Amino acid sequence: MRVIAEGAEARIYAADILGIHAVAKRRERKSYRINQIDTGLRSQRTRVEARILGIAAAVGVDSPRPLLVHDCEIVMSDVGGTTLRSVLADNELDENAVARMMRAAGSNLGRLHHANIAHGDYTPANIVVAPRARLAVIDFGLSEVTQSIEAKAIDLLLMKRSVDPLRFSDFLNGYRSSFRGADKVIRRLLAIERRGRYKTRTLLVTDDAP
Amino acid sequence: MPVLGIESSAHTFGVGVVDNGKIIANEKSMYSIGTGGMVPGAVAEFHASNARSTISSALASSGASIKELEAVGYTRGPGLGPCLRVGLLAASTLAARLGVPLIPVNHGVAHIEVAKHVCRMRDPLALYVSGGNSQIVALSSSRPRRYTVYGETLDIGVGNMLDVFARSARLEPAWGSSVAKVARGGSYVEMPYTVKGMDFAFAGLLTKATSLLGGHSTKDVAYSLQETAFSMLCEATERAMLLTGRRELLTCGGVAQSSRLREMLGSMAASHHARFGVADNALNADNGAMIALVAEKIMRSGSGYGRTGINQRDRPDSVIVTW
Repeated sequence: MRVIAEGAEARIYAADILGIHAVAKRRERKSYRINQIDTGLRSQRTRVEARILGIAAAVGVDSPRPLLVHDCEIVMSDVGGTTLRSVLADNELDENAVARMMRAAGSNLGRLHHANIAHGDYTPANIVVAPRARLAVIDFGLSEVTQSIEAKAIDLLLMKRSVDPLRFSDFLNGYRSSFRGADKVIRRLLAIERRGRYKTRTLLVTDDAP
Repeated sequence: MPVLGIESSAHTFGVGVVDNGKIIANEKSMYSIGTGGMVPGAVAEFHASNARSTISSALASSGASIKELEAVGYTRGPGLGPCLRVGLLAASTLAARLGVPLIPVNHGVAHIEVAKHVCRMRDPLALYVSGGNSQIVALSSSRPRRYTVYGETLDIGVGNMLDVFARSARLEPAWGSSVAKVARGGSYVEMPYTVKGMDFAFAGLLTKATSLLGGHSTKDVAYSLQETAFSMLCEATERAMLLTGRRELLTCGGVAQSSRLREMLGSMAASHHARFGVADNALNADNGAMIALVAEKIMRSGSGYGRTGINQRDRPDSVIVTW
């Protein structure tokens, strides 16, 4: 299988399931961890990710569908398209189209948060503009099922650090439109930003530097 | 001409002398933590009564005369307030008497810089792990240059966690190397593993480990605690390595003396074809030489010394790197 991406935790391979184009994400063994920690962690994280992918689809957020979960590997459908990060960087869309996308990205996150999923790395690099300008969310590797306002606010903070302020306000409009608890999370975001450690810190998990 | 540096952020009162990037003295007096840990007021008193003799012995072993000193550096923070104040007092007295500049230095930046210096690295990613601090940092490429914190502990430092565990398990002295010693040959008991992106948290792990002490052998709990904590650090560091694309990795700070942590980081770095480095233990433990080294760099850069004073929570990313 061909490696198409390599992260710290997993490798992504191009896969073919009965002629359907798919991707496989495999959490590789880490030589530095003892087996008892490594094996449990990789299979547990894989199961959690597959479960969250299922929930995301159920609450109407376009995302890869898990097709097969085996040990430390998920085979999932390929959502296609290009990342929102590169769409924004190309700067070829008119402002209205960009605003629409940012609202849709916000509304997707609102739906996830309503379902108590914190994505963990919600930046334009993990949002895919699929055919017909539909937005899909990918890479739930750092996601968790949680009611924590803090974890949800960190999702907002990551996005805020990744886009310019005007786009972030479009994003928040979309976020409010799909999630009744939005204001509580936004208030926490403001509180977090006042903490010393977040004044100077870089928060990106994937490299979103333009 | 030589520069003298004074470190006093925690249990060590350290005095180092550096001349043109060369460490020519590195002396210290260390408060004995025994089983009780550090009581800030008592440690400060210890520092105050050892300041004079430690400075004298550093000067004596450097072979430099006090009149030759070109500047005096000291630790501005982070650290314990009463202890930092003793260091500032000693350094400012010395600087005023000699009529030389007084240069404040961030403790974490000093740990990183001295390791970088002796490992001859250009632009590494650094895992800085000590009692109070656990951070993953690298120098930014944009100007003004500063150390960017990519990940850090969300609650307590890894060293602090090991020390508290050692106290609960009645190990003596109550610190990380005692945990490492008792952990040898242990077997794994399940522990909570908390990594959030490039951040990590140790409080839950500590609570679990201490609660297991009655039911399991100290050996097994210590082993599992250490393996889990270091794996967490390694995973977060690995993520930062890939994010920043650095080809050099170093670890520094008190916990960097752990051979198990070194082994794990070395293995991780090798899997990404990156060079791994760590300084000698004398430079990983708190010391005055690293303060002198950075003070000299700041002085030679000729762009101002920053405000003197102390800051218990001084962050490495608040320092503009002018050298």
